[in-house]
Amino acid sequence: MARRVPTSRKWLVTIAAWAIGFLIFFPILWTILTSFKTEAEAIASPPSFLFFDWTLDSYREVQSRSNYFLHFYNSVIISLGSTLLGLVIAIPAAWSMAFVPAKRTKDVLMWMLSTKMLPPVGVLIPIYLLFRDFGLLDSRFGLVIVLTLINLPIIVWMLFTYFREIPGEILEAARMDGATLWAEIVHVLTPMAVPGIASTLLLNVILAWNEAFWTLNLTAAKAAPLTAFIASYSSPEGLFYAKLSAASTMAIAPILILGWFSQKQLVRGLTFGAVK
Amino acid sequence: MAASDTATAARSRRSNLKAERIRSSWIFLAPMLLVLAFVAGWPLLKTIWFGFTDASLDALSSADFIGFNNYLEWVDYGDGDGEWYGLLADPDWWQAVYNTVFFSLVSVFFETIFGTIVALVLHAEFKGRGFVRAAVLIPWAIPTIVSAKMWAWMMNDQFGILNDLFLHIGVISQPIAWTASADTAMIAVLIVDIWKTTPFMALLILAGLQMIPQDIYEAAKIDGINPVKVFFRVTLPLIKPALAVAVIFRALDALRVFDLIYVLTPNNSQTKTMSVFAQENLFQFDKFAYGSAASTLLFLVIGVITIVYLKIARVDLEGGR
Repeated sequence: MARRVPTSRKWLVTIAAWAIGFLIFFPILWTILTSFKTEAEAIASPPSFLFFDWTLDSYREVQSRSNYFLHFYNSVIISLGSTLLGLVIAIPAAWSMAFVPAKRTKDVLMWMLSTKMLPPVGVLIPIYLLFRDFGLLDSRFGLVIVLTLINLPIIVWMLFTYFREIPGEILEAARMDGATLWAEIVHVLTPMAVPGIASTLLLNVILAWNEAFWTLNLTAAKAAPLTAFIASYSSPEGLFYAKLSAASTMAIAPILILGWFSQKQLVRGLTFGAVK
Repeated sequence: MAASDTATAARSRRSNLKAERIRSSWIFLAPMLLVLAFVAGWPLLKTIWFGFTDASLDALSSADFIGFNNYLEWVDYGDGDGEWYGLLADPDWWQAVYNTVFFSLVSVFFETIFGTIVALVLHAEFKGRGFVRAAVLIPWAIPTIVSAKMWAWMMNDQFGILNDLFLHIGVISQPIAWTASADTAMIAVLIVDIWKTTPFMALLILAGLQMIPQDIYEAAKIDGINPVKVFFRVTLPLIKPALAVAVIFRALDALRVFDLIYVLTPNNSQTKTMSVFAQENLFQFDKFAYGSAASTLLFLVIGVITIVYLKIARVDLEGGR
């Protein structure tokens, strides 16, 4: 059902779209460009856009000063681990909310929303003390737990809205044919909800990847993910822009690549099913 | 006879099944509810408790209950002379409340408008749409500490490219210290937040737009209805549910804004929000109990705003089943 659009208008839209894209992307482009400059050129006035001596010095320096791959590994483990653990807890919960109608569903949703009313700084000390007592400080496992807890409401919320679109009769028919509850969820519901589960997974990997407050406050050196790696390059004197840019580029590169490949799923996944 | 037997058997099986589903639904919800209680309930109760004590960071366990004194306390100097102390009498706290509400209103307002415009443009067909969509998405997908650092540097008064650009176009006549000056600090914070979050709003709205059946537009076109009118009469009402949920998630984040301000404009009273106020008292000023009280009050303020918004906008959390 292609709409016929006049050519002139099509050009206008194309130009507008690219202009908006460029404008929004510019700060990131600028960071990437700066990462290839020397420190002197990074603060040159007027700034040079493309015509400078391209160099990899900053990357070499960053790589020699800190262990990028350790932080990268930590980020991968923490974001994937917390998302998968979250899904394991959230899928049964979302099943209950979507297929066993009850008055409590609304209360549960409201309760989940209320977890987003609490400022993280306000609960840092209680959580920190808990982590210290259980020996979870600066451990990947501890971070997986805390990020699961933090992103669980949004995972459940997204899954609930997807599951709601699936007709409950199909699941009940499977049960009437003798399937167990386990089979109903694992072999009937999950395959049908794969697109929704994939979007949820993707969104939460990104959210966990970017989480900086808890990862900075609950880790030291061993379990620190990439966000902590960037933070270590932000000195108060602030005269290391090229190095900071290189570190930032290295930290966001995986997200750039992931975002590029998954843009379609993300758009679909972000509806929260609020529209029909 | 045999047929009705099977029917009865099927019916009893169905009701057994129903009972089992209700039972399992509680078992399935239990882990999540436990986790919620653990992450949201326990630390919150602890923070509320600290707010009623005289706890300090190095003496957490020996805290004494002092009632509402962190919130409001009349200190009598004798001879009928005295002064009100506590959060509710603290002008800094009220300044922080004002800053937070101002920031949230302005940022969410512009993010919604720009997000809608960007979504409408990205919804149209053009060459390289996938590429542009990915480029627009990215600011939202990178950590705030990275983007705050990037912008702090772009807004630097000496080497920042923003001043350079504006000087060339002639918008300003001399370099501005965007993040340091009291007049521009809030503008700087708003620019960065709007830049960072507009993509998120655009994405949510774009997803809503994609759900609208094309034939509605075809019909409007055949009837010769003005596109602007189509937008306000057809598109907007249809994406309103998506928009309402997007706005509430966004507003909750804006009301708790912390890291952006902490990195971009530290120690600036014009941009100090409730979260920053709480953080300073909790960890920097050695007034842990006072900071806990501020956190509790922050939670209450956001809760009230959310409930009022849900009532006014008539948001259906369950998505209208």
